[in-house]
Amino acid sequence: MQRRDLLRFSLGASLFLSTASLVGCSAQTPAAGYQVLRDSDLPALLALIPVVLAGTAASEERVLHSLDHKLAALSPEMLKLTRQLFDVLNLPLTRGPLTGVWGSWDQASGAQVTAFLQRWQDSSLNLLRMGHASLLQLLQMAWYECPQAWAACGYPGPPRI
Amino acid sequence: MPVTDPFRQGLERGWITHDGSRLEQDLTLETDVAVIGSGAGGATSAQMLSAAGFKVLLIEEGPLKTSSDFHLLENEAYASLYQEGLGRMSKDGAITILQGRAVGGTTLINWTSSFRTPAQTLAHWATAHGVTGLGEQAMQPWFERIEHDLGITPWALPANANNDVLRRGCEQLGYRWAVIPRNVRGCWNLGYCGMGCPVNAKQSMLVTRIPATLENGGELLYLARAERFEHNGERIARLQCQALDAQGVHPTGRQISVRARHYIVAGGGINSPALLLRSKAPDPHGRLGKRTFLHLVNFSAARFDARIDPYYGAPQSIYSDHFQWQDGVDGPVGYKLEVPPLHPALASTLLGGYGSENARRMAELPHTHVMLALLRDGFHPESTGGAVELRGDGSPVLDYPVTDYLRDGLRRAFHSMAQIQFAAGAAQVTPVHSDARAAANLDEARRMIDALRLEPFRTRLGSAHVMGGCAMGDDPRQAVCDSLGRHHQLENLSVHDGSLFPTSIGANPQLSVYAISAKLCDALAARLAQSA
Repeated sequence: MQRRDLLRFSLGASLFLSTASLVGCSAQTPAAGYQVLRDSDLPALLALIPVVLAGTAASEERVLHSLDHKLAALSPEMLKLTRQLFDVLNLPLTRGPLTGVWGSWDQASGAQVTAFLQRWQDSSLNLLRMGHASLLQLLQMAWYECPQAWAACGYPGPPRI
Repeated sequence: MPVTDPFRQGLERGWITHDGSRLEQDLTLETDVAVIGSGAGGATSAQMLSAAGFKVLLIEEGPLKTSSDFHLLENEAYASLYQEGLGRMSKDGAITILQGRAVGGTTLINWTSSFRTPAQTLAHWATAHGVTGLGEQAMQPWFERIEHDLGITPWALPANANNDVLRRGCEQLGYRWAVIPRNVRGCWNLGYCGMGCPVNAKQSMLVTRIPATLENGGELLYLARAERFEHNGERIARLQCQALDAQGVHPTGRQISVRARHYIVAGGGINSPALLLRSKAPDPHGRLGKRTFLHLVNFSAARFDARIDPYYGAPQSIYSDHFQWQDGVDGPVGYKLEVPPLHPALASTLLGGYGSENARRMAELPHTHVMLALLRDGFHPESTGGAVELRGDGSPVLDYPVTDYLRDGLRRAFHSMAQIQFAAGAAQVTPVHSDARAAANLDEARRMIDALRLEPFRTRLGSAHVMGGCAMGDDPRQAVCDSLGRHHQLENLSVHDGSLFPTSIGANPQLSVYAISAKLCDALAARLAQSA
C-alpha cells in the first residue's frame, strides 16, 4: 500500500467511525408516508435506484415503499446499522471523502453513482464493502419482492391455493 | 376446497395462549417446566413433558402465524418469519444467516430436508468431544420414532428440474447422489416451504408438537423475548421476559416473569448462548458461545436451454455426499451438495451484479439453476467456528472468521459444482462471486475459479444451519453442557437444541435436533418424575 493510500485509508476509517458515533445527532423521525425512511435518506436512494435497478421497470416510489417495509421489520440493531450506512452517504463530512460524490446526491450523474459503487466494492475497508453489499441487496430485494417486477423475470407468481 | 387451519381451530377450542403484544400489565406465570424457543428442540421437549404429565410453558420470541397467514410472498415471509427480518448476518456482514423466528421456529420455514445424524459425526463427538450415550446404536430408535411421527420418507415424486440437475450431473460423472427424506404428509409439491406451508403438509412444529402440547394442557407464550435468568450460580430462580409489539421488533415495556422447577433453553444456535451470556451464567472455562458452526454455504449458478422454473416444486429432493467424507472425517473440509429454491427477491441478490447486468441475469430466471455446497465445519483442529457476542443492546451477533481452511473448501466446492452443472448439460456456469463471469465450458470455469479471490463480500456466503455455542461433552473444561444436555453449572437448566452440537452435523440438522432433543428429554422426564 502506498503511503498516500494508507493515509486515505485511515482517514476514511476514522471518519466512518466518528460518523457512526454522531448518529445520535441526525434526525430519526420518518419522512411523511414512511414508517422508517427519513427525509435525509431519500436523495441518495433516489440517486441509487436508477443505477442499481437500471434495465428494470422499477419505479422509485414503489421501491422506496417496499424498502421501507423491509426496514421496519429489521431488528433495532440492524436498523441502527442501516441508518448509519445511510448517514455516511448523507452527511457532508463523510459523503465526499468516502463516496467520491462531493456535491449533493440529486446532482450526481449515473456515472458518478457507478464510480461510487465500484469504489466501495473494491475498497480495502470492510465497512465500505459491507455497505456496498447491503445497498445492492436492500434495493434489489425491495424491487423483486414487488409483483410488478415478476413479468420481466418470467416468474408467474405463486400458485393459487 | 378451502384448506383448514387446525391451529386456529384449536385456539377456538380453548388452547391456552398468551400474546405478549397484547399484555396490558406485567404478568407472572408459574409452571413445572419453562421451555424457551418453540422450534425443533423446544417443541419436541414441550410435547414429551406435557405428555408425561408436567405443566409446560412454551415461550417464543416471534409471532404466531398459521397456515391462513401464509400467502407465498417473499416480502411477507421474510419480514415476519425470519430472525431480524432476514437481516441477520455475521459480525463482518459477509455471511447472511437464515433462521426462523415465529411459533414453530426454523421448522416453519426450512426446506424440509430430514437426514439422520451421520454415524461418522456421532463417532467423532464420542472420540474428540467426550460425548457419551449418543452413538449410532443408541440414536437409531430415536431417529425411527421421529421419522414415523413426522412422516419423514424419501421424496417419492420426481425431483423438480432444479434438483434434477444435481442428479443428472452426478449420474453422468459416476458421483454418488440420493433422494432427500422430507417431513411432509400430503405435500402439494408447491415449492414455498421457506415462506410457511400454506396447506399444513410440512410436519413442522406448528402442526405437530405444538398442537399436541396445547392439547395436553400446556401453554404458549409468544411475542415474548427471554431476556435473562435470575440465578445464584447454582440454581435458576426465575426467567424474565420482555413483551414485544405485534411485529416482534420493539419491546412494549411489559415484563413477564416465569417461575419453573426446570428450564429448557432451545432458542437455537446464536440465541441460546446469547440468553446465557445476558444472564451471566457461570462459564468458568470460557466455553459459552464458542465453537459456533454454520455449514458455511457457497453457490454456483448455471443457465440451461430447457426451462428449470426453480421457484416451483419441492425445493430440496436430491443431494450428493460424494465430497463429504472423501478426505476422512477430520481432513480438509468436506461438503454436501444440494440446491436452493429461487424466488425472485432471493435470486436477485444471489445472481450478482447490478443494473442491466443483474436485470439480464434475472430475465433468465426460468432457465436458471443454482447449486449450493454446505461445508462441514468443526471437525478439523483449524476449524474452530465462530463466537457469539452481545451487542450494546444485549442482542447477539456471531463473529465467524472465514479461514484458509474454509477457503480451500469453498474453491473445491466451486469446482465440483461447475463440473456437475456442465455434466448435466448447462450452457453456462457462473460461480456466485463478484469477479466471476459466465463460463461456456468446464476448462474456462476451472481457470476462472482458480483465479478467484475468495475474500469476504466478493464470495457470496450464507448459512441456514447455526449449530453449537452451548456444546455438550462430559468435560466441563471443554463443554457448556454434559451429554444429557444438563448445564454443567446450573442444576435446573438443560439445553435441547442445535446449540448443543460440538461440531456441525454434515447434513441439514433438523432431524438431529429432533432426535437428540427427544432422547435427552426422555431422560429429563424420568429425572423430574423421580425428584417430584
